[in-house]
Amino acid sequence: MALLDIKNLSLYIETANGVVKALDKISFVLNEGEIKALVGESGSGKTLVVKAIIGALPDYWQIKADRLTYKGQDLINMSYEQRRQIMRRDIAVVFQEPTSSLDPSVKLGDQIEESIPPEFINKGWFWERNKQRKDIAIGLLHKVGIRNHKKWMNCFPHEIPSNVSQKIMIAMALASEPSVLIADDSTRSMESTTKTQVLRLLVKLNKTKNLSILFVSHDLLSITSIANSMTVLYCGQTVESGKVRSLLKRPLHPYTKALLDSAPSFQISLPSKSPLKALKGTIPSLQNLPTGCRLGPRCPNARKECVVAPPMRNIQDHQYACHYPLHFPSHKKHATNEMVLKSAPEEIAGKKDIYD
Amino acid sequence: MIKLLIRYFNLMVITIFALIVLSFLLPYLFPGDLLTNVSGIVPQSELQREALAKAYRLDQSYFSQFQLYLSNLFSGNWGVSSVSQLDLLEEIKRAFPATLELVIYALLVATFVGIPVGFISGLKHHNPADFSVVTFSIVGYSFPVFWLALLFITIFCLQLQWLPISGRVDLLYEVQHQTGFVIIDIWLSGLDNTKDAYLNALRHAILPTLSIAVVTTALFIRFTRRSTMDVMEKGYIIAAKSRGFTQRQIFFKHGFKNALIPILPILALQISTLITNAMIVENIFSWPGIGYWLIQAIYQQDYPAIRAGMLVVALFVLTLTITIEFITRALDPTKEETARAAV
Amino acid sequence: MQRFSLYQEEFHPSPLANVWIEFKRSHLAVFGLIILGLFLLVTILAPIISPYDPYMQNTNTILLPPVWEPNGSISHFFGTDALGRDVLSRLLYGIRVTFGSSLIIVGIAVFIGVGFGALAGLLSGIKSSVVNHLFDSIMSIPTLLIAIVVVAILGTGLANAIFAITLALVPQFIHQTRSFVKSELTKDYVTLDKLDGAGPVRIFFKSILPNMVELIVVQATIALSIAMIDISALGFLSLGAQTPSIELGQILSESLDSAYVTPWLVALPGIFILLMVLSVNMVGEGLRSALRNRFNH
Repeated sequence: MALLDIKNLSLYIETANGVVKALDKISFVLNEGEIKALVGESGSGKTLVVKAIIGALPDYWQIKADRLTYKGQDLINMSYEQRRQIMRRDIAVVFQEPTSSLDPSVKLGDQIEESIPPEFINKGWFWERNKQRKDIAIGLLHKVGIRNHKKWMNCFPHEIPSNVSQKIMIAMALASEPSVLIADDSTRSMESTTKTQVLRLLVKLNKTKNLSILFVSHDLLSITSIANSMTVLYCGQTVESGKVRSLLKRPLHPYTKALLDSAPSFQISLPSKSPLKALKGTIPSLQNLPTGCRLGPRCPNARKECVVAPPMRNIQDHQYACHYPLHFPSHKKHATNEMVLKSAPEEIAGKKDIYD
Repeated sequence: MIKLLIRYFNLMVITIFALIVLSFLLPYLFPGDLLTNVSGIVPQSELQREALAKAYRLDQSYFSQFQLYLSNLFSGNWGVSSVSQLDLLEEIKRAFPATLELVIYALLVATFVGIPVGFISGLKHHNPADFSVVTFSIVGYSFPVFWLALLFITIFCLQLQWLPISGRVDLLYEVQHQTGFVIIDIWLSGLDNTKDAYLNALRHAILPTLSIAVVTTALFIRFTRRSTMDVMEKGYIIAAKSRGFTQRQIFFKHGFKNALIPILPILALQISTLITNAMIVENIFSWPGIGYWLIQAIYQQDYPAIRAGMLVVALFVLTLTITIEFITRALDPTKEETARAAV
Repeated sequence: MQRFSLYQEEFHPSPLANVWIEFKRSHLAVFGLIILGLFLLVTILAPIISPYDPYMQNTNTILLPPVWEPNGSISHFFGTDALGRDVLSRLLYGIRVTFGSSLIIVGIAVFIGVGFGALAGLLSGIKSSVVNHLFDSIMSIPTLLIAIVVVAILGTGLANAIFAITLALVPQFIHQTRSFVKSELTKDYVTLDKLDGAGPVRIFFKSILPNMVELIVVQATIALSIAMIDISALGFLSLGAQTPSIELGQILSESLDSAYVTPWLVALPGIFILLMVLSVNMVGEGLRSALRNRFNH
């Protein structure tokens, strides 16, 4: 069953140069029990999507979507109070910087206890209630793998290392027993050992509690290790979406391929002094968004038709938005046989790489 | 914590010492007869002059004169006023509580009006109510205090004749001077019409209090509003929102404290400005406080009085500021020992 | 409004230009700037534009009301005072003295304060936190108090008042500059300069000073408003400007004698002091907001 269903979400903002469409028809679906990755470089709009879901967008953004629902309830038009209730119990968010997500003047133990919903506390007298709260908090800390809770619960946020604090953030997120956990680039500035701990924790939670996770990141290595499905964003547009395995095996969009190739894999022995693979150019700024497919100016496959935004096409549960996808003959009727054959055989023959 | 206490105590001692040294040096800097400046007594004859000079060790080194000064200071012998020949310590004891009373009233107004308004305005900003609050705030702290007092007098005393111009309490009520605080003194004096006396004292106190409170309230509003706006954009507020707390819960649990703590030192600084403004306003309302006394002393070139008055006010201000800084530092768990607050 | 550009270049103003763009967005701030400019003009041109000689007494025209009262006439726009002097001219000269002395005070205080503060920040090697703390505490004494003490020592008069207030404001600039320089010296871009071989003078003028200018300007606006209020307060208390010099606070105190009969004489000087300080504060607030928000485009 689909928990989060987003279809054609667009975000508009007024700037000095007119209305800018920061997000252009983003679509993806988060199903129950799956770990979905939202991939894209900085500037692709991943954080905007998260903010739109949780309702933290400032007023000057306009939201338009065909569907933005959680368990069938429409998120855009619901009242502040309804949304607050959903955020309180069902959806939990873990942000990027754990230290700045914590109140610097309150002890950690108090903050964890604060995030426990009051309906879980059912004892009678207030000292019993306090003890129950404390026990639940300790239980949460143990669940995320923090053993010596006594030491950490009496500390202030600036006194603890970042791996502990990120785990504490996850513990606080779990306090309300949510169905969806959104991890907004939570492992960004971590070293690999810490990152592995946190990722392992997320996988464990997914398996044991059937917790659906929306993992927003640009770190392909982590994503490919834990995610079931992924959606690739570029500059506010969805470019490809599908199961991680099929995207890795056969990326259809040039951007996905470029992304996968740019993550250096230390297992393959690269020939010395071989150039690193990357697309030319940089992500365009909000002021100068290209019309149509936004990868157009950088895409080596780009042709005249790419000034029209490609629709999302589906093949065997693998969506892509490209007029000239890799590994496929072109879908355009006007294409001549020459053009049709241009992309396929050269790449299949391995002679031409899309980076030249 | 103990280390902090010792550090601030040391600081206080050093500062007080520096002030005492400065006030010791003042008579040498003041124009006029050194002997009169130091003792307050105008010598009538050569014999008296010599006796006085000996008593104040003017023939000996500066160091021994300083010793004498210190011992006099601590024993309560502050000399006499060169104009009225009244004992200085007594005069100051009489005048200072009056100023304190004004300061306390104004501080109460500023805290209980200024800070909540600042919070509300910081939470809901960029709407018409907030705009008028900001306008009031900027106009308020741009107002010259003395002119505000004059305006109040012109409107409320001269034109409308609602409130009295000068003094603390009408002479009809014979209030014994016990503590120097009018309200307490009325309570202690056992008069039969205490209620009327309270009302009367209050009517005398309203205009001076308002004159100084306006400026300080405006500043409190400005700082609180800015700090609240800064805090509400911080990460932990957004994180708390994502956990589904109501606006009210978020503010009272997290926003309030973190908005107040950084500005407490600045608010403490305003107290010293409050005292200065109170001193000016006292002159206009003939409120018998230390400001009135001190400025009269300057007009009359009563140097011993100036020196003693300056010492008292400066000591009070410094002690207050250091104490508040210490309390803020002790209460704030985020600042490390060596970090200094920068505004 | 789309900018027509042949090339796809983006227009990025420099940080300084950004400050002005952001400043312009606040109507209040621009309004304050205009008023400030007007006051500056009056300060410079007062002798030229004032209709009468402010010292000239005329026993025929004592206590004339201003032009909006029934007996007023346009020849004395704001009326006359108890000695028959034209109030408008006196006010113009008073603005000149109050505003002008405040500018002088702040100018000298900035020059000395920044100079010494920079030296102290660049060259100090001895870690004397005691002196630092001491300085902090002394700075918490209100400027007016210090000014009163100095005036008590030196005597009354405009020059002494200017000296006293300057003396009271200099420590603040020294302290701010010193702590700013010290904190900038630990930053990486200064370390890079040092690695390039720059000496302390070059580091100061090329790297630190441009960043410090913004801080100093904001501090200067605050100091200007303090100086204006203090100068007029001292004038009001007759501890500053004395007759025959003309200063707004002093005019105010002189008008108290006839306050019953001539309320406008109490209102007008005060309004001008208020407007002066208000305009400085509006510009200051606008600058601070602009510096804070300039990158929010």
